[in-house]
Amino acid sequence: RQKLKILSKAEPLLGNIQDISHQVWFFQDQTLTAVPRKNCMVPVTVTLISCKCPETLEKDKGNPIYLGLKEPELCLFCEKVKDQPTLQLKEQNIMDLYYENEPVKPFLFYHSQSGRTSTFESVAFPGWFIAVCSQGGCPVIVTQDVGKTYITDFVWSVLY
Amino acid sequence: MGVPCLLFCGVSLALPLFVRAVECKDSSVKNEIISVDHPFAFNCTYPPLTSEQVNITWYKPSSKIPVSRNTQSRIHQDESWILFLPMTWADAGIYQCVIKNINSCHRIHVNLTAFRKYWCGTSRNVLPNLSDEYLQTLHFGKDDSLMCHLNFPKSCVLDLIKWYKDCKEIKEERFNTVGMKLFVKNVSAEDRGKYACQARLTHGGKEHTVLNSISVDVKKIEYGDRIPKITYPRNNSIEVELGSTLIVDCNITDVRENTNLRCWKVNNTLVDLYYRESKRIREGYESCVPFEQYNRYTVNITFLQVKMEDYGRHFVCHAGVSAAYIVLKLPVPDSRAYLIGGFIALTGVAVSVMCIYNVFKIDIVLWYRSTFRSTGAIDDGKLYDAYVLYPKPQSGSQRQEVDMMVLKILPEVLERQCGYKLFIFGRDELPGQAVASVIDENIKLCRRLIIIIVPESLSFGLLKNMSEEQITVYNALIQDGMKVILIELEKIKDYTDMPESIKYIRQKHGAIRWSGDFTEESQSAKTKFWKKVRFHMPPTRYPPS
Repeated sequence: RQKLKILSKAEPLLGNIQDISHQVWFFQDQTLTAVPRKNCMVPVTVTLISCKCPETLEKDKGNPIYLGLKEPELCLFCEKVKDQPTLQLKEQNIMDLYYENEPVKPFLFYHSQSGRTSTFESVAFPGWFIAVCSQGGCPVIVTQDVGKTYITDFVWSVLY
Repeated sequence: MGVPCLLFCGVSLALPLFVRAVECKDSSVKNEIISVDHPFAFNCTYPPLTSEQVNITWYKPSSKIPVSRNTQSRIHQDESWILFLPMTWADAGIYQCVIKNINSCHRIHVNLTAFRKYWCGTSRNVLPNLSDEYLQTLHFGKDDSLMCHLNFPKSCVLDLIKWYKDCKEIKEERFNTVGMKLFVKNVSAEDRGKYACQARLTHGGKEHTVLNSISVDVKKIEYGDRIPKITYPRNNSIEVELGSTLIVDCNITDVRENTNLRCWKVNNTLVDLYYRESKRIREGYESCVPFEQYNRYTVNITFLQVKMEDYGRHFVCHAGVSAAYIVLKLPVPDSRAYLIGGFIALTGVAVSVMCIYNVFKIDIVLWYRSTFRSTGAIDDGKLYDAYVLYPKPQSGSQRQEVDMMVLKILPEVLERQCGYKLFIFGRDELPGQAVASVIDENIKLCRRLIIIIVPESLSFGLLKNMSEEQITVYNALIQDGMKVILIELEKIKDYTDMPESIKYIRQKHGAIRWSGDFTEESQSAKTKFWKKVRFHMPPTRYPPS
């Protein structure tokens, strides 16, 4: 399992995001959903990279990170749709965000770890967390209704 | 007039509906594998439209007639769901769900494949890809849970959930069913295996059985420290020449899943940003070596050319909340090395001087005495320079040698050549004087005591029974300032038989061994032996001729 990995340049981490109900993130029809993991289904590979310039961001909420999908190359971001913070996907190279000299707040999430689970809180809309519902096939959204209807605890695992 | 108007109105009303139907966007096909004779439900959603008022219609394969909404029908639409109670072989095919609102329309295709699930006792080979098996993971050593995914519309009542492992119903205390979940305490490797959850589904008074197969894996994952460790630098200084190139690695170990940022900063700014213009100091690319539980990262900082302003400044490597810095220092001449060097040199010189002095001590002292000799008499109340004490061996040759030494050679060299005045018992006493008084009186008038010893003198007891010698040595030892010169005429191997006083003198002042022969001729005060003797003698008033 041990192998050397020398990066010739900065690269995002590649991994999967599952939730405690054994659902994985699945991308189809421009939509990111959480579905129960099955044999016949390939979960989406998530890209993740830390923000280089977190000085202006809150310190105790977790590591500010950019989140994206490997294939197709999309990034998760939050914006208001009809006065409601909404999780969206945008065609965006995650490394371009990484190389920005200022934090690109709509694309940033505070990654907070507790035990083996993680939460992802929007930097642009504090108090809004990435969430899924426990029934299969729900879209991945942002909510401020934490710990009730929605699942906001995820298991982030790195692929090599 | 009325008819065309009505026709026009009808067309104008129908046209937008017609246009909208044409505009329906097709989504990619969703595949579902369903076991026959089991209930199945599929929810038609199109996330961008869910929060709005939408109209959803389900169609069977190659049919333009919407699926029935009659709840008693085996296949019917229940709100946004299509419900099969239960699924049959004949139901396989591509179903369509049209979801539309005022502005848009989407057509979702769902390909249903039917298969026969063989479960416990009815084992038969099933194509591995034709499986509705769920994959779930339990974490070793932790309390974890499995989920029974039962997605049906609200009209379906699900209860009596039973869990099976390898076809046996789970009844152990370690397992606990709450709602759709099976909680497992203290997960062990044996918990890996084929599970199934079974539930009763009641709909419209009819009962059905739902069965999910779950393949469970057990993973051992250590969730280590969230705080990364910086193994280098350690807030240390680095000596570097002005103008040189410098590369410093920052070594970090961190848990694989951690998302801590690793970087070099100066003045709390990324070095790449701080030296954005000159690019003189830059952060290098990161390398990563994965280990079982953690990764080892290396991030370097490159100084293309060290400048004066870099010295004393903190260059900080950050890894999450951890930080460690380096400080550049000008290489100063090492004063400590100089001190040590100087000390060694001084010690060397001192040791050399001591050695030279020890080797040439006698010559130096004799030269000094001859150069800076006092012209006047030494006024210390002494009459003689040395009292000569010697044994009188019984053997003829030894007696001859001792006499030759004492009566001829000593006077020749010390008295005639060097100008000393000796008191030799047996030569200088006045006849008729008592031995004890001669010694007692004369020794007080002497500056030194010369004792001549020969090996045989021991056996005959130099000082054992002769009061003359005893008095002499006693006086010499108790009188302050009286130096004793011990001359061995031959090599004396063993001093153990010697009297304590001689041993003491030998230990305190050492002995001079005679190295010449016993002839009157060829005696020079400049030989090594006589130099030694003269060194121990008091300063002379005139030098040897």
